[in-house]
Amino acid sequence: MASSADMKGFYKQKKKYAGISKPSSSKPKSKSKSAASFGSNVAQPPALVVHGSLDLQENHDANEEVLRQFDMNMVYGPCVGMKRIDRWNRASSLGLSPPDDVYRLLTSTASEVCSQSLWDGRV
Amino acid sequence: MPFVIYFYVADYITCNCKLLAIAMTAMDVDTGALQRKQSLYQSMDEIFEIQKEMYKGQQYSQIYYIRLHLIRTLIHSLLPNWKPHLPVCTVLGLEEGKECIIVGTLYKHMKLKPTILSEYSKERSATPLVSPDNFVHPDDTLVLEDESGRVNLKGNVLSPSVYVTGNVVALHGKETDAGDFFVDDVLEAGLPPQLDLPNKSGEDKYVVLVSGLNVGSSSSNPLQLQLLVDHITGHLGDEKEQQSASKIVQVVVAGNSVKVRHGLLNGQNLASKDQSKLSEPIKELDIFLTQIAAGIPIDIMPGYNDPANFALPQQPLNKCLFPGSSAYNTFRSCTNPHLFDVDNVRFLGTSGQNIDDLEKYSEAKDTLEFMERTLRWRHLAPTAPNTLGCYPFTDRDPFFIESCPHVYFIGNQNKYATRILKGLEGQVVRLISIPRFSETGIAVMVKPSTETRVFVSLPEDKSYFPESIADRRLCFSVYATGAISTERSDDDAGFGYLLIVVMGCDGEGHQIWWWLLKTLAFEEEG
Repeated sequence: MASSADMKGFYKQKKKYAGISKPSSSKPKSKSKSAASFGSNVAQPPALVVHGSLDLQENHDANEEVLRQFDMNMVYGPCVGMKRIDRWNRASSLGLSPPDDVYRLLTSTASEVCSQSLWDGRV
Repeated sequence: MPFVIYFYVADYITCNCKLLAIAMTAMDVDTGALQRKQSLYQSMDEIFEIQKEMYKGQQYSQIYYIRLHLIRTLIHSLLPNWKPHLPVCTVLGLEEGKECIIVGTLYKHMKLKPTILSEYSKERSATPLVSPDNFVHPDDTLVLEDESGRVNLKGNVLSPSVYVTGNVVALHGKETDAGDFFVDDVLEAGLPPQLDLPNKSGEDKYVVLVSGLNVGSSSSNPLQLQLLVDHITGHLGDEKEQQSASKIVQVVVAGNSVKVRHGLLNGQNLASKDQSKLSEPIKELDIFLTQIAAGIPIDIMPGYNDPANFALPQQPLNKCLFPGSSAYNTFRSCTNPHLFDVDNVRFLGTSGQNIDDLEKYSEAKDTLEFMERTLRWRHLAPTAPNTLGCYPFTDRDPFFIESCPHVYFIGNQNKYATRILKGLEGQVVRLISIPRFSETGIAVMVKPSTETRVFVSLPEDKSYFPESIADRRLCFSVYATGAISTERSDDDAGFGYLLIVVMGCDGEGHQIWWWLLKTLAFEEEG
């Protein structure tokens, strides 16, 4: 599980968006209905997001993609709860010959790749 | 006619007995003081230790994956000898009607297995109140699972009452049109390879296995345990008896050595008078173990009732619990399961939790059959972590049996039983089911050599008459124990008297003498 240092980040309470945006003018209900259907500034209110951000395109570069494919490969076993490098070492000691480029990505200090698996903090 | 009476002073914290010395009337015992035999001991418990493990949030899927990988690799190497013409495929790769072999982990769907969710189900389920002993039901079904998927298993070859969740097997069969897999044949991993036994060196050496001492419980008799300790340390019997005791090279206590009264463990603060009751059983046990450790190597394993962690593999009992015995370097606190070598004879044993769990979720004739199954499945505890508590390992499965032991023992069982199991590649294993000492008074002496034989020491049952001449010496122990348990009288003010029987024998070892050594004063436990 997330270490105690991560707890604050895990349960962060900040709202990225303000929630449902209300129309600035307070009109009676019947009128506001018609106001919403045409002419209102906001075409569609954004989704209610409480936790974290809507990151559909996160820090997702080619390196991360390679590592995610490694996470998802069932030959090397489940990836939940293990660091990627530990899983690579385990696969190597079991004789499964995991790909070397994954190892290089994980051990090189140059690339900024996540050491935890893709499900870390999300499951 | 040599006739000796032995004396010793024992100080029990709970019983407060003091046996006084009686004059030695007969031949001296010091003619050529007997030397205890030595043996080479090697412990291989590192695989069961979890001090270096760190919990990083892993789940049990990791240990199942490792188990599947280890045993599947093994089975793949056995397949060419079994059915070489059939293809091996994954569960997802099954095609309807095509005969093939699949390898995976079994899951048993059990109707009567208690689940936490049944408390929350809307309808009151019709399942009757089950006894906690056995959850097997005729409607149980098996499912095979590997990394790609699961498939229901049908057919009469695979009997659900034999297998449990966590077994890895290979199945030969074909997929039916209903989507199930119809099983024609099963292949298990089989007995692991065994190292050759060393040639019989000519010396007889014995290892004493005892379990379920349950010191502190109402069923345990401290005098019985003291007799066992005296027998092992050579304080009992005549010269012949002492000679056989000098051949004991190792004592293993296989779990459940103490039993704390459950009423004290209800989570509330203990009064000061109760606090001493909590530690008394352990102190009493330490006294017994010190007497043994002073002369002979002793291993103590934790059990279900002992103050050790719950999940397997149980870690060694802390040495501070045994201030007296841990001063000796012959005292070793070991893990449960315990794997060790005595003179290159491999012993493997547990305190019984793995077999007890198998008894709840499958059926077999007796304990020895369960033990045989665990060896054939090449896994000590297949039900871990499903129904048996287990540490979530990520890099290894310590219960996977790499090398076949020569002696395989399970402690804390109901009855004493033993059998030789022979494997296909010439493996020979002595299976021993050790009963609880507090209930039966039986400790097992094993002679690790090319032919392991078992002697039963100190049984309660007076009608035990060993057939062979070599066992006749042990008749004395029978009578000694039997006598003590029958004679007991109560007197005023909570004091009682005990009759002590002393064994005497002539050169042939036939005569038994009863002596009233001393009427002792001792306090009954409050």
